[in-house]
Amino acid sequence: MIQFEQVTKAYPNGQVALENIDLAIDDSEFVFIVGSSGAGKSTLLKLITREISPTSGSILYNGEDIRKIPPDKLPILRRRVGTVFQDFKLLFTRTVFENVAVPLEVRSLKDSEVERRVSSVLEKVGLLEKANDFPVQLSGGEVQRTAIARAIVGQPEVLLADEPTGDLDPKTAESVVKVLEKINKEDKTTVIMATHNAQIVNHFKKRVVVLKKGKIEKDEKEGKYESD
Amino acid sequence: MSQIKKTIKILRRSPYQALAAALAMTLTFFVGSIFVILIIGGQLILNYVEQRPELHIFFKDEASDTRISEITQIVKSSGSVIRVKYTSKEEALAIYRERLKGEPLLLESVTADYLPRSIQVTINKPEDIISITKSVESLPEVDQVVSLTDEAISNLSTGLKIVRIGGIILVSTLMAISFLIIIMVVGMRIALRRDEISIMNLVGATKWYISRPFFVEGAIYGIVGSTIAVLLTYSMLLFYSPNIQEFLGEIQIFPVSPLFFVYLWAAEALVAILVGIIGAAIALFRYLKIR
Repeated sequence: MIQFEQVTKAYPNGQVALENIDLAIDDSEFVFIVGSSGAGKSTLLKLITREISPTSGSILYNGEDIRKIPPDKLPILRRRVGTVFQDFKLLFTRTVFENVAVPLEVRSLKDSEVERRVSSVLEKVGLLEKANDFPVQLSGGEVQRTAIARAIVGQPEVLLADEPTGDLDPKTAESVVKVLEKINKEDKTTVIMATHNAQIVNHFKKRVVVLKKGKIEKDEKEGKYESD
Repeated sequence: MSQIKKTIKILRRSPYQALAAALAMTLTFFVGSIFVILIIGGQLILNYVEQRPELHIFFKDEASDTRISEITQIVKSSGSVIRVKYTSKEEALAIYRERLKGEPLLLESVTADYLPRSIQVTINKPEDIISITKSVESLPEVDQVVSLTDEAISNLSTGLKIVRIGGIILVSTLMAISFLIIIMVVGMRIALRRDEISIMNLVGATKWYISRPFFVEGAIYGIVGSTIAVLLTYSMLLFYSPNIQEFLGEIQIFPVSPLFFVYLWAAEALVAILVGIIGAAIALFRYLKIR
């Protein structure tokens, strides 16, 4: 489904974030991308949505080179790939419902359809009763689940989650990953989660790709991660 | 409709910027409307004067009343004369006093004796001016023949030219200011919605979807500005029409058909919407940076 072929990403300041990455992720897989800060996890995720472009190499999405997608076709890719951003990127002047509705609004769906799908997703992540709350009224776990709801409301084929358990306590972090696991199992959505939380990775026993200084150090099914 | 509602919601978040843009548009199109009316009105007056030529024949003091009557008869029989109006020395003084009522120094030294008797000749066909002038100007009792038509047409044409050029310069300047204000306001709006735009871009919004509210915003400024401008102009003209009509005398330009204002509004709204949309497009090109 997603294939990295000899992908290198160097930033204008000369920092090499990823170097000669070869990686293939299949349909309906759940993959942890792990590594310490600066290992290149976020860069790898950003390359999939073409938030940034690789310096060399190619990234194939269902056989299509992401780099060659013309700008006017880029929204189609981004609708097929949902993202839970590291900094949430929630709109603080909008309610939970309105935040989750954004990906559907940009597709110009009817209000009734938006209402139905947002309610269904909020129920799935356990936030239906918080629909009219604003992000500042939510706990850390609820904010994260709002971000997940927004990422999956458009029924994407792939869900990217960048450090979704970042500032959460272990119990809340586990509940957040359980939501992702549920989405992976029930909807057959491919989930790629970047994290440096070894406890979570080791608990869920999924495929683990370890990045170190921009290179793949390990790639194991039901792998383990020992943080530095 | 939903897009307009969304845009109005956005406008309400920063009403002062929206007000500044709408006011700039209103001022531009209000001044534009005034100039359009001045130019059209001036043209109507010019047409009237061109179609109704006038001659003033001034007599020497020694001309007898009998001789003036004879000359009046000559004039009446020599072409397409509509009307001949005699002005005595006393009437001439009354006119002089009326015209110079703010200049007491000029008034106190003038008596009726200083002013000539005259006849005002209104002609139907402008081409008859020359033949009538020729037939009377060589008569010993005639002091001077003045064709007011030529003078009036020349003055009016010059005046209209000045109004037209002045109008174009002033309206162009105001339009440029409106453009800049819209670019600035839309630019600020883009900056204020930076996070929202970035999120929409990342969740699959097309560039058109992101840009659309800003174009609608520009168009709304145009519609609001031109509508208020035309309503103001209409009210003003309605209020002042008795005074203007009194000034114009027999030249009838009132009442102005409401249909004229509908056309004026349609034309101005079209131009204003274009100004708004182009202003928004420039702001988007300059400030909207999405990948």
